[in-house]
Amino acid sequence: MPERQQPPAQPAPPQATTARWPAAADRVHIGKPIERLDGPDKAAGRAKYSYDIIRPGMLYGRLLNSPHPHARVRSIDLSAAEKLPGVRTALALKDPSKPETARVRYQGEEVAAVAATTEEIAGDAVRLIKVDYEVLPHLATVEQAMRPEAPQVFEKGNVTPPSLNEEGDVEAALKGSAHVVEGLYSTQVQTHTSLETHGGICEWNGDQLTAWVSTQAVHGTREGTARALGIPQSNVRVITQYMGGGFGSKLGGDLWTVICARLAKAANAPVKLMLDRKEEHLVTGNRPSAYARVRAAVDAQGKLTAIDAETWGTGGAGQGARFPMPYQVYVFPVRRQRHRDVYINAGPQRAFRAPGHPQSCFVTEIVMDELAERLRLDPLELRLRNLPPEADNAQWGRYFKMGAERIGWSKRHPTGDPVSGPIKRGLGCAANRWSGQGVPRSRAECEIMPDGSVVTRVGTQDIGTGTRTLVAIVTAETLGLPIEGVRAEIGDTNYPWAPGSGGSVTAPSVASIVRVAADAARQQLFAKVAPTLNVADPTTLVARDGRVHVQGDPSKGVTWREACKLLGTEPINAPATWQQGLSSIGTSGVQFADVEVDIETGVTRVRRIVCVQDCGMILDKLTAESQCYGGIIMGLGFALFEHRILDRNTAQMVNPNMEWYLVPGMSDVPEIDVTLVDQPERGVVGIGEPPVISTAAAVGNAVANAIGVRVRSLPLTPDAVLNAIERERAGGTL
Amino acid sequence: MPSRKKDEPGFSRRTFLKTVGAGGVAAGVLGPAQTADAQGARAVGPGAVPIQLNINGRVHKLEVEPRVTLLDALRTRLDITGVKRVCDRGACGACTMIVDGKTAYSCSMLAIEAQGKTIRTVEGLVQGTVLHPVQEAFCDRDGLMCGFCTPGFVVAAAALLEQNPKPTIEQARKALDGNICRCGTYPRVLEAALNTGGRRA
Repeated sequence: MPERQQPPAQPAPPQATTARWPAAADRVHIGKPIERLDGPDKAAGRAKYSYDIIRPGMLYGRLLNSPHPHARVRSIDLSAAEKLPGVRTALALKDPSKPETARVRYQGEEVAAVAATTEEIAGDAVRLIKVDYEVLPHLATVEQAMRPEAPQVFEKGNVTPPSLNEEGDVEAALKGSAHVVEGLYSTQVQTHTSLETHGGICEWNGDQLTAWVSTQAVHGTREGTARALGIPQSNVRVITQYMGGGFGSKLGGDLWTVICARLAKAANAPVKLMLDRKEEHLVTGNRPSAYARVRAAVDAQGKLTAIDAETWGTGGAGQGARFPMPYQVYVFPVRRQRHRDVYINAGPQRAFRAPGHPQSCFVTEIVMDELAERLRLDPLELRLRNLPPEADNAQWGRYFKMGAERIGWSKRHPTGDPVSGPIKRGLGCAANRWSGQGVPRSRAECEIMPDGSVVTRVGTQDIGTGTRTLVAIVTAETLGLPIEGVRAEIGDTNYPWAPGSGGSVTAPSVASIVRVAADAARQQLFAKVAPTLNVADPTTLVARDGRVHVQGDPSKGVTWREACKLLGTEPINAPATWQQGLSSIGTSGVQFADVEVDIETGVTRVRRIVCVQDCGMILDKLTAESQCYGGIIMGLGFALFEHRILDRNTAQMVNPNMEWYLVPGMSDVPEIDVTLVDQPERGVVGIGEPPVISTAAAVGNAVANAIGVRVRSLPLTPDAVLNAIERERAGGTL
Repeated sequence: MPSRKKDEPGFSRRTFLKTVGAGGVAAGVLGPAQTADAQGARAVGPGAVPIQLNINGRVHKLEVEPRVTLLDALRTRLDITGVKRVCDRGACGACTMIVDGKTAYSCSMLAIEAQGKTIRTVEGLVQGTVLHPVQEAFCDRDGLMCGFCTPGFVVAAAALLEQNPKPTIEQARKALDGNICRCGTYPRVLEAALNTGGRRA
């Protein structure tokens, strides 16, 4: 999640009591493999995603997108579309009378919208809209944008002035080092490819708007939508019960929700507006490309001395492409990064699972292997010699040793598999780090009813990570109930504020605040129960196994239902405010890859990935492991297949679909060996991003180890591998 | 994959796309005889025409334009929304249904073509409130995350097990290769397909 999404830390208000996690031995649910609460609804097809909801009298919206990567809209004629039977409203989204807002800067930018009684009619209507474009010069590639004679397409220039980050005298340190490696490294643009596209349904009731949106942030969507429509936030309710993936691309109020609300207002009917697959690839965000010209050095003893990185990349039209260099795992005492953002006429970037990290990790880890090669040192040994001091959230040394054992690193051959025949095998490794801390503004409430039923409400959302389930796990754990004994209500702005689900903040925020809420509710219940048990101090009571009893004496107590009956007619409703100490900051992890490369076809097949990862206290072993599998598989896509390809002449995306934009499938997935390191004393730390970070770097190093040739760019497609081999055979002159 | 040449009856751009797009997987490819029937039907449309669809053992009467896909007919006309539209061109399997006993990409089949066929969806696997063993296995093994691809995977796995109750890993992998998951549930989907009927140890 980008830094701007992180609310500033605030001092915690004073608390009556302090919630803590139960001792490891006392845990009934936390840390066990627990099935998702919503698994049955999802597996049965009953779960209603925004895409599935049908409201009475609902219309279908569609967008008209610019076919040109850069143009000025001279006129928009909606009349033919409006006359089509079944069309209820049509909107121009560009105002030709205002030169600046009449511009489109990338293929797919929204120009007009319609709402009609069926999707098919809406599609017909869009085709009847006549738009006159003045086509303007465009930039399709980073290379084009950086040429001195390039047309200046963007107000702030095509290339930003370099921003400098410097520590020490790089030139002197490089000069004094035993070995220096130099190279140009790059990673490609990757699209999120969420299976449920962006969009939702908007329905007005007077001046009240209800929006069912496919979003990672119900509260953020309310805020952004209300602002864009110029209406109070209190008039907007956003609901997301189920959503089909976002990976960072659905973190706030989106233009499409606003267009949908305007269509619904104009048509006086609910409207569903969901993007199609092509639009999803073109306009909903991507991971920016990254280029790095690196000089890195090491002394004769294998201690890193300095790194200098000139970096650039594109986040599309007017968007940045920053990534840190070096990746902050290994200690380079002297370092310099000069970075420039390059703008091209392509869809703008958005936060994408661990923004900046996979790029930075790939470049740094490949450089580490090249330095080790220069030293004729085991690359694992070079890593071990250059780690920062060990800490709770910095345990790479230990994990590298664990992972090496599991992958069989001792059998690794020096670079270049000596076997005869075209299939070469190799091993590689890489490390990762992420913050993943809780957000202090998070809120939740826990309600205990007189009949013993329980509901915890928190305005978070489950984006596939199992958030709904962990709300129930923590509530049930705290109240000594089975998971089925509590309800978790999430995904609605009517519930207390929680942060958007990005940056791995959700589990630490939500688990912590739910613990506080359930603990506060429990205290109130104990106060009611204490007198009937003749207990003077309610804090000596515990809730366990469906009973409330005196600590250490289960016989001196009452059942949960009996306890709740004492409430009479009035439920307990305990709100919660943030407490420090239930979550903490920082994860460390490593990954190893075992690959085979066919040097005749260039095809890389990953045989095995080993992952060692910590995430503080594990809440649900089952879903935490799934998170690791998922990250690694997405990382494999980045390593081997995924690539937003723009035609270098027309700036049109040539693969805006799912048959040519390749994400991994079942047969691409290797054996994945996950070791989750439980750190119960640390509290909760998020694990959404870390597993995606190092996969491509580990695979990249393994490919080089297999074929004896460096491929310094991603994705590692057959042609990239074959080109690298050819170049090497030609003595590096091709 | 059943091999088919371009000049055989029933060939269309859509079936071509789904054949190549599926990465060489059989899911969704109908036999020549079946599609030949549909092509032999008299011309209808372009306006809405009445049709009947036999879905999960129930006959639904509806009116759709001939251009409406089976997937869209179910989702937008009948409110049967377990099946999802993701790629909309036979590359991802989220819309997988069982048509006359074989898996089919319903985004790549017209609703009018599906008349007279037995159509089963993810919803039809549930008996009352009791989940199908495959659905149980997906929950038990955590073979689902965001869940958007899950109905397609569940249907593909159920169809596999109906034809081959004890698939090898390679057979299961191949049968599920026509479905795409973005969250990365594959290892556990595979486990679910291979361990249906048995609980996690």
